[in-house]
Amino acid sequence: MMKKLLRNPLSLFGFVLLIFFVVMAILAPMIAPTPERHKHEPYRIPRYGWEITPSPPSEEHPFGLTQGQHDIFYGVVWGARTAFFVGLVVVGSSCAIGIVVGAASAYIGGRTDEIIMRIVDIFLSFPFLIAAVVITCVLGKGLDKVMIAMICFWWMNYARLLRGNILQIKQEEFVLAARAAGVTDIKIIIRHILPNTIFPVLISASMDLGSVVVTAAGLSFLGLGAPEGYADWGQMISFSRNWLLGAPGEPLKYWYTVIYPGIAIVLFVLAWNLIGDALRDILDPKIQA
Amino acid sequence: MLSYIGRRLLFLPLVLFGVTLFIFIAMSFLSPYQLVSSYIKSPDELKNQSLDDLVKKYHLDDPAHIKYFRWLGNIVRGNLGYSRSANMHVADAIKARFPATLELTVFAMIPVVLGGIWLGSISAIHHNSPLDHGTRVFAIIGWSLPSFVFGIILLMYFYGVLGWFPPGRLSTWADMIVLSKDFVRYTGMHTVDAILNREWAVFWDAIRHLIAPTISLSYLWWAFILRITRSSMLDVLNKDYVRTARAKGLPENIVIKRHVRRNAMIPVATVAGFMVLGMLGGLTITETVFDYKGLGLLTATAAQQLDYTCVLGTTMFYGVILVLSNLVVDILYAIIDPRVRLD
Repeated sequence: MMKKLLRNPLSLFGFVLLIFFVVMAILAPMIAPTPERHKHEPYRIPRYGWEITPSPPSEEHPFGLTQGQHDIFYGVVWGARTAFFVGLVVVGSSCAIGIVVGAASAYIGGRTDEIIMRIVDIFLSFPFLIAAVVITCVLGKGLDKVMIAMICFWWMNYARLLRGNILQIKQEEFVLAARAAGVTDIKIIIRHILPNTIFPVLISASMDLGSVVVTAAGLSFLGLGAPEGYADWGQMISFSRNWLLGAPGEPLKYWYTVIYPGIAIVLFVLAWNLIGDALRDILDPKIQA
Repeated sequence: MLSYIGRRLLFLPLVLFGVTLFIFIAMSFLSPYQLVSSYIKSPDELKNQSLDDLVKKYHLDDPAHIKYFRWLGNIVRGNLGYSRSANMHVADAIKARFPATLELTVFAMIPVVLGGIWLGSISAIHHNSPLDHGTRVFAIIGWSLPSFVFGIILLMYFYGVLGWFPPGRLSTWADMIVLSKDFVRYTGMHTVDAILNREWAVFWDAIRHLIAPTISLSYLWWAFILRITRSSMLDVLNKDYVRTARAKGLPENIVIKRHVRRNAMIPVATVAGFMVLGMLGGLTITETVFDYKGLGLLTATAAQQLDYTCVLGTTMFYGVILVLSNLVVDILYAIIDPRVRLD
């Protein structure tokens, strides 16, 4: 499968983009060094002045300074770390919840299964963004609250997927044999069932990383996420909302406030979507025919 | 069929109970003092009494189950509380804002579905050719453009530079006409009301404000429809009856139009139905970018100002609407498509 993905030029491009972002996130302290006075909080974008109006790109600040003189280049580079952090935490935690719920539901079966699946249905009946807004609003604003809110409403599809896969193999001989040999339930699930069913779930989860990052950025854009000045792409774009009209006679004067953080987030999501799209083609039985 | 509908209807109260329970649990994270705001009908009530009195008066320190049923009673009677951020009752705010969201959804659905099907058919017919790859890359780029980035760029150019598509729902002059006495607001959807009142200038103004959010939504959702159309058309293109149609010498475009596209549309219709529901609940960001005063913007503004009453009230409304329309869509499909087996 990996071979097929690397042979497809589009998904190959996706991988290249992704590696670029990984390198950028890891090397952030070298690409955009934190000024001495900020050393203790590197995720706060340094400010170069107190004026509200953005300043255009210059030699010192290649991407310009956005609202409040926050350095855009610094924010874009360190924002990659925030993006990976949010994506990995949300996808990892909700995947873990989904696996536990899905495995329990399918393995126990019967009435428990029915009840768990109805609960899943109830969770699915909420529009995701609204549910996330509610939880963030009740818990209070902040990046951590945004992540909690997203985890609460992101696990259901993994649970369903895993449950379906387990139901397919639950009656196969190797499972029955293990049970007849007196192996405990937990051990059967971990040793025999999960290794045979978990991969589609992990793949689908890893492909969700892009959309998780976009949604989190969207919540930051709505003003519910990271505090002002935190290195977060969504929040930087919400700054640019105040400057989209430019100045009289120069309608595009503040283009750099949206273009640079915008490009960062678009390329990040594009990378995941390109890989995901190629992957879905490879896995789609209809197209293989 | 009837037993399926029956079962779904039996399940309905359960889902609604789940929805209310979720909101109630969310509310229980708040202290009685924070909650008091949802019981105060007008700011005047705060004048002569302290917050402690109000907490006692509305029994906010009661045990949870009693509070739950009292709250439910209030909801059923339509009392969703008073919203600080909108400065009116939540129920009234929803009544004023929901038509706007509905209007945008209906308006955006047309280009989204038609454009998506068109792109998908091009992609499927020219399978694995440069045209196929080109359309797909175009659509994937759109799918990767978050609406808050693309929306701001659209506004910068089409509003800032060209002045064509302003944000908001109506220009000030048109707003004055709509708010005037002679203008009857039948539906709350400005385009429909303008036609019914024969105010053509208002109609065009409303359309002008709808175009930019529609472009933004279309480009976002095309990839989604394209993928379904393409996959389902490729599937149909391999069917025996398509080979038969070609073998008997039908021109290719008739084969595509009559035999392929029609049969490939069923999954697309299914997805489109659920997409409408998704859009109704997911317009929050688009409405915020374009300052389009719909339900999503109401919720977003309320959330920013931590106006719990309003956020929880609109969520309750969303929950009920979506659960009900989900049911209707499911049942409609069962009636339309004989292949859907429900039992």
